[in-house]
Amino acid sequence: MKICKEIYQYRQMIFSLVKKDLRGRYKGSVLGFLWTFINPLMQLVVYTFVFTYIMKAGIDKYYLYLFVALIPWIFFSSAITGGSSSIVAQKDLIKKIYFPREVIPISYVTSCFVNMLLCFLIIFPVMVISGISLNPLALLCLPVIMIVEYFLALGMAMLSSAVTVYFRDLEHILGIITMVWMYMTPIFYSIDMIPEKLRFVYHINPMSSVISCYRDVLYYAQVPDLTSLLEAVVLGALFLVLGMLAFGKLKKGFAEEL
Amino acid sequence: MAAESKQENAIIVDHVKKHFKVFLDKGQSFKERLLFRNRRRYENRQVLRDISFTVKRGEAVGLIGHNGCGKSTTLKLLTRILYPDSGTITIKGRVSSLIELGAGFHPDMSGRENIYTNASIFGLSKKEIDSRLQTIIDFSELEQFIDNPVRTYSSGMYMRLAFSVAINVDADVLLIDEILGVGDVNFQAKCFQKLQEIKAEGTTIVIVSHSMGQIEQICDRCIWIEDGLIKEEGVPKYVDEHYLSEMEQIRLEREEADRQKEHAAAEEAEKAAEGSAETPAEEKTADAEKLSKQKLPAFCEKSAVRLGTGQVQFTDAALLDEDGESKYVFRTGDEITLRLKYHCVEPEKTPKGNFGYGIFREDSVHCYGTNVEIESDSWVALQPDGEIEVRFRNHLLPGRYFLDVAVHAPDGTYYDDIRRIQAFAVTSEHRDIGVCRLESQWFVDGKALERKTGE
Repeated sequence: MKICKEIYQYRQMIFSLVKKDLRGRYKGSVLGFLWTFINPLMQLVVYTFVFTYIMKAGIDKYYLYLFVALIPWIFFSSAITGGSSSIVAQKDLIKKIYFPREVIPISYVTSCFVNMLLCFLIIFPVMVISGISLNPLALLCLPVIMIVEYFLALGMAMLSSAVTVYFRDLEHILGIITMVWMYMTPIFYSIDMIPEKLRFVYHINPMSSVISCYRDVLYYAQVPDLTSLLEAVVLGALFLVLGMLAFGKLKKGFAEEL
Repeated sequence: MAAESKQENAIIVDHVKKHFKVFLDKGQSFKERLLFRNRRRYENRQVLRDISFTVKRGEAVGLIGHNGCGKSTTLKLLTRILYPDSGTITIKGRVSSLIELGAGFHPDMSGRENIYTNASIFGLSKKEIDSRLQTIIDFSELEQFIDNPVRTYSSGMYMRLAFSVAINVDADVLLIDEILGVGDVNFQAKCFQKLQEIKAEGTTIVIVSHSMGQIEQICDRCIWIEDGLIKEEGVPKYVDEHYLSEMEQIRLEREEADRQKEHAAAEEAEKAAEGSAETPAEEKTADAEKLSKQKLPAFCEKSAVRLGTGQVQFTDAALLDEDGESKYVFRTGDEITLRLKYHCVEPEKTPKGNFGYGIFREDSVHCYGTNVEIESDSWVALQPDGEIEVRFRNHLLPGRYFLDVAVHAPDGTYYDDIRRIQAFAVTSEHRDIGVCRLESQWFVDGKALERKTGE
């Protein structure tokens, strides 16, 4: 509890780190911040082309079906893989001065999160153009889903960033893990396509319920299944607490280890 | 501030121990760890063995000790960059550290933006920074440059900005590591003044410094750390003096070891040279110029200066304690014997001489000087080889001193004059201050006060 209060006190630091990160990401490039939009937009164009004209997936408006799941996934995976090296990347700061170490993964995940939010600015016009009616009640659930995913990602990033300090290989191992994880999550396909006996895997995967919820809201335009959302909330909270606890234990050795 | 809150402890350090693993060869990755397990050799270096102290609110404490004694580690533990192996550290209130200045400074961002970033790292909110912004800019004296990118700053400007942020955080506890060397003399004076102000406002301060002067000016108390333990704690003036005199002793011991080594080497060389060729007699009567250029003999300090005609030459000088042992560290109140040996080249030409000695403090204060003629109104009849001894009670207070010795003719010509022939240190159990100890007896209402036992 004390740490939460302290993190709140350092909110300005989180804010300025996020700002620095977002600003620095496209620094020096001609289009600058526009790249944030161009990337997902181009992805969308490619998917539309491939899945409408070449590989017919048999799912109506597959490009959107895929897109609304992929954007949240990209946030999640980049928060974990990029987050894992966030502490190591800030070692100068950590060796020099005290601040609650949690600030660093929080800032990193937050800046990834802001990026996702910006991508969502593209999703809505696409939805309208595709003729999907916006369900106001379902849209109200969207922030909740986002927050749940945020906490999930944060918990993972805390864990991975702290462990990476002691074990640098984790950064690379995580690249493989997230790839496997992506295919174990119903992003390219629907959960109904999975054989019954493998379903349990999807139930222990917190991301599958999160992705399903996104899809419910943005593709099917319906209020998501509350039980799966609840499941995600519980898992999100659990991950965060676990991540915080592990981080709290490991952070004491950061300055020495770096 | 109320008296009772003054009593409150702002910092409590309780039996803190800390060691570092010093890796001789460290593998970071999994492969390296797996393959070269036995390469992960390391030494355990115990930096802090058992440190306990408390600092009261509003108190300023200085940490001193030689390099590697653990004082900087202690400060890092206080800021919570490092954590102790065992023991606890409790700090009440917001901590600001002037350990590494300019953390998180981005060279491409303007001074103003960097103030925000840097201050946010100290845990200030935007509102708090807004309210301090002008003070920070004013203090840094960088008004004209504040919107330029920091990379265009000189290193002095950079440090000034960083210092201004750190010192304006309004911390309850301020930790400082050897950084009062910021900017030019004016700015340093300003920093110093600001520190005094901050202290007067009731901020607790812990300083690590090698400058005893700074510590004595700011701190109420001084803690001397040696080999990870607290060696002494108390009023800065006395602790500093003890510290300095011990440092001096170590230095002198090292010098003595060097000297003995040199001496042994010289003897060796002399033995080798013996019997080779006898030196012509006329060369022995060296003139003054030649003598001053001569290599200083082993009994002289390296920095000694030798002048004089050389008609009489000192061949040895030693400060002896009451047991006749040659020493370089004495206590206030000791009886010291100065023993001089000399060689007179032609006693028939220079029959009489006057021997004298003088003592200078490190900062060139002439503490004392006398000679045979002053004391006895007589002259010494010079022998071809003679010995002079003078015994005196040492009333000097702790510090570092230099001894000068000289012998001169009745007309005032110096035969031999060696300045700074020897350095010595004085230590004391007493806490009186000044140049020398004047034995004092206190009377209160006509009744003599009893002296402290053990003194």
